[in-house]
Amino acid sequence: MSENIQNKLLGFITRSFMVEREEIDLDKSMIDEGIIDSFGLIEIATFLENEFHIKITEEKMIRANFGSVHKIVSFVKREQTQ
Amino acid sequence: MCGITGILQTELDQDQQRKNIVDMTSTLSHRGPDGWGIYLSNHIALGHTRLSIIDLNSGDQPMMSERYVLSYNGEIYNYIELRKDMESHHGISFKTTSDTEVVLRSFEVYGPDALQKFNGQFALLLWDRKEKKLLIARDRYGIRPLYILFYRNNYYFASEVKAFDTIPGYQRTFDINNLFDHGLVWNTLDNSTVYQNIHSLPAGTFEIYRKDSQPSHYRYYEIGESAGNSPPNIESAVEEFSALLEDSVRLRLRSDVPVGTYLSGGIDSAITTYLTSQQNKEKFKTFSVSFADKSFDESSFQQEMVTRLNSEHSDLQVDYKMINDNFLDAVYHFERPVFRTAPLPLFLLSKMVKSEGIKVVLTGEGADEILFGYDSFKELKLLNFWSKQPNSTLRPQLIKKLYPHLRHYKDPKRFGLMRMYYEGFLNDYDNDLTGLNIRVHNNKALTNYFNKDFHIAFNKEKLMGKVSAILPSNSHHWTLLQKNQFLELKTLLSGYLLSAQGDRMSMAHSVEGRYPFLDHRLIERLFYYKDTFKLNGLKQKYILGKAYKDVIPSSIINRPKQPYMAPDLKSFFSHGKLTEQASYFLSAGKIADYGIFDSTIVSRLIKKFERKIPDAIGYRDNMIFTFVLSCQMANYWARNPKTTPLDTKLKKVEIRDFN
Repeated sequence: MSENIQNKLLGFITRSFMVEREEIDLDKSMIDEGIIDSFGLIEIATFLENEFHIKITEEKMIRANFGSVHKIVSFVKREQTQ
Repeated sequence: MCGITGILQTELDQDQQRKNIVDMTSTLSHRGPDGWGIYLSNHIALGHTRLSIIDLNSGDQPMMSERYVLSYNGEIYNYIELRKDMESHHGISFKTTSDTEVVLRSFEVYGPDALQKFNGQFALLLWDRKEKKLLIARDRYGIRPLYILFYRNNYYFASEVKAFDTIPGYQRTFDINNLFDHGLVWNTLDNSTVYQNIHSLPAGTFEIYRKDSQPSHYRYYEIGESAGNSPPNIESAVEEFSALLEDSVRLRLRSDVPVGTYLSGGIDSAITTYLTSQQNKEKFKTFSVSFADKSFDESSFQQEMVTRLNSEHSDLQVDYKMINDNFLDAVYHFERPVFRTAPLPLFLLSKMVKSEGIKVVLTGEGADEILFGYDSFKELKLLNFWSKQPNSTLRPQLIKKLYPHLRHYKDPKRFGLMRMYYEGFLNDYDNDLTGLNIRVHNNKALTNYFNKDFHIAFNKEKLMGKVSAILPSNSHHWTLLQKNQFLELKTLLSGYLLSAQGDRMSMAHSVEGRYPFLDHRLIERLFYYKDTFKLNGLKQKYILGKAYKDVIPSSIINRPKQPYMAPDLKSFFSHGKLTEQASYFLSAGKIADYGIFDSTIVSRLIKKFERKIPDAIGYRDNMIFTFVLSCQMANYWARNPKTTPLDTKLKKVEIRDFN
């Protein structure tokens, strides 16, 4: 399941933010790396909500959940299993 | 306002020298359609195209005295006072009533110190016939342009780089590293330009060129040099500030042709227009842009001022198609990439202004820089406040007050995402980049767009080094917001607002812009006003509202700041497809042909929006798209220069000074 989430997420990121998969460090923050700007965060959150049918409330919008691709994937997985 | 050209240390024969200077000058006839002139000698050739504004009958150029020859673009607003002073204290007698002669005589009397006496906007070439040396100079804030090219042992000078395209054998080519810097901070730093071997004379400096030696460089002004003290309270600050601004408007209304004003709908132009009405009791013309796309439209605020001042108003409504259809022509005049289409409506507006017989307009440019009007000032203040208690849950709530025109900042459901974004800057917002930290961080995404052969990589330390180098030594005493003000003036204002959006867009149709907020007396005083007089809490341009609250409608004073913008990406897509012209310049073939960008990445960006153009598009996508398209078009013009011969009937001056 994680692999599926990660593939979908990476597909969205490469399509939307003009980076190649190999340029994305899966353990680094995409904000700090300059891959996404503030609006990019909105685009990712909207994608996650629509694609994985989860609801992201304010207290979940933290770096522990969004700080890297791996963290986002774990977060989505947790939300789906709840 | 005018266009100027020059060729120094020419080794050409006289006929070839004349042809070259005439060809260069011919590319600048839009800057000066009323007449042209040339000066030819063994050492130098100078050219000039004139837009007649002061002394319509006798101010032709190049102008020669016994010692000097001058080719000058601009206005010295205090020329009347300078003239009187030279008449009464130095026994100088004047042959004309022009400000050009005042400039010429000022150098005879004061030498280069004359530059410190000028209050105005100018770029000039001054040839010393006796000592065989050339002085070139530019105004304090870089309002008027001056470029320098060294090519095959000759120095070439011109108001616009397109003049260099006429030099036999020369081909204008991008410098990719400078182009990337320009993308990061919206200007090239110091004296570089986006083109190889072309330099820009930095604002507030002059250079002296002599045969067989390197040019020497001097600075006669730097922002913040006055190191003054703030008035003690807001009341005394308001009094001093409004007197300075009113005097600035008074000087900028000096003209032998009628002066109009622009009304954007914001507070800055409302005040310059109001002050114009106070000094000019006759009915005068005002101009504005409105948008078919209502999310950009400010016409209700414009109308409120028109009604209050009873001006003779003309409005130009702009739509997506007009922006698309005129973009290539506007890029011809920018001569560099831009990041927004906002200059386009001003390009179209100056055309309308010209057709209504107006040659001079006052505008509100500069107020955002000198009064902390940009959101970058709010961002810095917020980060500074938040960083003192990084765990505070209340302090970051102020993020909602940033960018009131952007929905995602206000949306409480998205607040957590915005907080997360700004958290990333808490540790380094106060380095020398100050407000540029966020701009650069967003814009470094451009790295991926360049052709991989150039190996473009973002290097923050290197950029920081360049920025630190332009900060003056007294900047150690400045607040964070003062530093940011300095950098906004050096980057956004001079590189984008005054050139691509200011000088080029008005001069494209022979209209001169004048900027009351850019009077150096005003800027120097304001620079040392307490930060809270300019940004009070998060209320921007506080002193401005305070000073004019009784004469400007409160709806304009109290409205949240709406940056002047035009539709970017949406202008270049029609029915889910790129428009024909954008498609031509962004096609894989054209991208490969020009070799600047990576065609895979560019096509991915296009696909993102071909699928669907959402209602809200991020700042970065708009910016990058406009940057890439305008780069492609600027490269097109470098490869396909226009030639339009000068009208021989309009030749006013030809001086042959050979010995």
